[in-house]
Amino acid sequence: MNSREQSSPFSLFFKRCLEYREIGGIIGLIIISAIFALLSKEFLTITTFAAILTVTAELGVIAVGSAFLIISGEFDLSVGSIFAVGAMALALLLNAGIYPILSVLISLALTISMGYMNGIITLRTGIPSFITTLGMMMFWRGVLLAITGGFTISYKGDSFFINLFSERFWGDFTTSALWLIGITIIFEIVLSGTRYGNWVYATGGSSGVARALGVNVNRVKMIGFMISGFLSGLGGCINLSRFRLVDPTLGMGMELEAITAAVIGGTLLTGGYGSIVGAFIGAFLVGLVRTGLILAGAPAYWYRAFIGIILVIAAVINIRMKKKVSG
Amino acid sequence: MRTEEKFPLVEMKDIRKEFGKVRALNHVDFRVGQKEVVGLLGDNGAGKSTLIKILVGLYPPDQGEIFFEGRKVRFSSPQEARAVGIETVYQDLALVPLMSISRNFFLGREPTRKIGPFRFLQKKSMDKDCHEILVEIGIGVRSPSENVEFLSGGERQAISIGRAMYFGAKLLVLDEPTAALSIKETNKVLDYVLQAREKGLSVIYITHNIYHVFPIADRFTALDRGVKVGDFNKTDTTPEKIIEIICKTRV
Repeated sequence: MNSREQSSPFSLFFKRCLEYREIGGIIGLIIISAIFALLSKEFLTITTFAAILTVTAELGVIAVGSAFLIISGEFDLSVGSIFAVGAMALALLLNAGIYPILSVLISLALTISMGYMNGIITLRTGIPSFITTLGMMMFWRGVLLAITGGFTISYKGDSFFINLFSERFWGDFTTSALWLIGITIIFEIVLSGTRYGNWVYATGGSSGVARALGVNVNRVKMIGFMISGFLSGLGGCINLSRFRLVDPTLGMGMELEAITAAVIGGTLLTGGYGSIVGAFIGAFLVGLVRTGLILAGAPAYWYRAFIGIILVIAAVINIRMKKKVSG
Repeated sequence: MRTEEKFPLVEMKDIRKEFGKVRALNHVDFRVGQKEVVGLLGDNGAGKSTLIKILVGLYPPDQGEIFFEGRKVRFSSPQEARAVGIETVYQDLALVPLMSISRNFFLGREPTRKIGPFRFLQKKSMDKDCHEILVEIGIGVRSPSENVEFLSGGERQAISIGRAMYFGAKLLVLDEPTAALSIKETNKVLDYVLQAREKGLSVIYITHNIYHVFPIADRFTALDRGVKVGDFNKTDTTPEKIIEIICKTRV
């Protein structure tokens, strides 16, 4: 406690910076950007920035849901499969000639109920959500492969409404970036500014205390699972709008990338601590590495190796910062 | 107002509770008067916690009646008990360490403004009210936005007790509040209990250490293996006498 009174203005400023949960991700972002800027002249351009936002959109939207759920103390490993089912359902509905708006609503309702299923199974049986959603990840992937026979489905129409998910504007920007930014802002406000957000933190931080103080812990978690399903489905809509086709293997490994993004952004896997803006930064960093490696002319295979190292370093920075703040 | 004074705040009559073959409580009577601090004493497994859990609605009693301010009640959850003014401070289930003081303070009862489907926290008034309470209970050096993680055990207990007083409790139930505290912090918590009584609250103080509760309590009830072994007024007993009685029944 005494060190606080003796600290200089600079160290006070430093300490204030450390209090931001996103600090690990921001430091990582600056360092990696500097490296890529040295490696490639095109890196620090608006075009590249727009491209990064575009490739980040789907992962970012899903990472927001993952971070939300992890903060409440649960996991969703099925987001990659739900993402693919959402995109596939939308493509099939559109190809069947159903109104675009209705198709989107139906496929979102489908993915929300998949999240609900994860929640019901986890909360009713008491098995860890890690296991429930691992099982559901395999189940939905299998269903997807069985229904399509492993073939790609393409969407041939050109609906204005579907284009809204990923339309170009201002030259290089796409509307998918706007969706990502909008979703990030909304869920950050919900998490840090509303009563429900307060309950999410409490539930993940200590479900026993939350329950003793009258918070309906199961309801909080159930809504979290449904948000995760909804955002995975939204990611699916963006993806279909961008590529116009769905591969049944779409989104494999996405669950781990989403968790990576959340952790880089300062979310603790043990729950009760984290940030939505951080998840956005984490996803942006993943997209940045993907784009930067291409611009630097490195083989795409290096992408995963890079992400792995960044994840570990960001996690180390975050835990160190947290310890420093707690003195 | 008159009627309130005629009745004790809490009256539990002939409470019995069995868990399987274990008789946790056997025909126990327990009473807490208005503005009274009662020490609920007994060794581990004496039935202190069970009695309190029945009072606040965590367990239903197998037999017996409970009166609160003269009215017969039976709470089916701690929320119902809280609604009439019974606040419980649990030893280890009081605060979420990773959250700020003010967020903890209002957890479960956040002041909100409804806009559309969202209930927005009124953070400014939360911080302001919380700060006033912190000053009042003597830990005003703390900022309401500080995380609970950095607080000492005594400060945490202070906040839990302050929270119960703020939300207008009539009865404060403290479950071993000083079990993990230093001597200095223990004395502070005992001060808070006296403050609470001055404000008109009654307090049930559960402990197995009579020396903690003796200076502040008005009356003591001792349990041993589910049976009440004595009710003592502070004026006509000493800590040693109470210990002697609890130990005698053991033999």
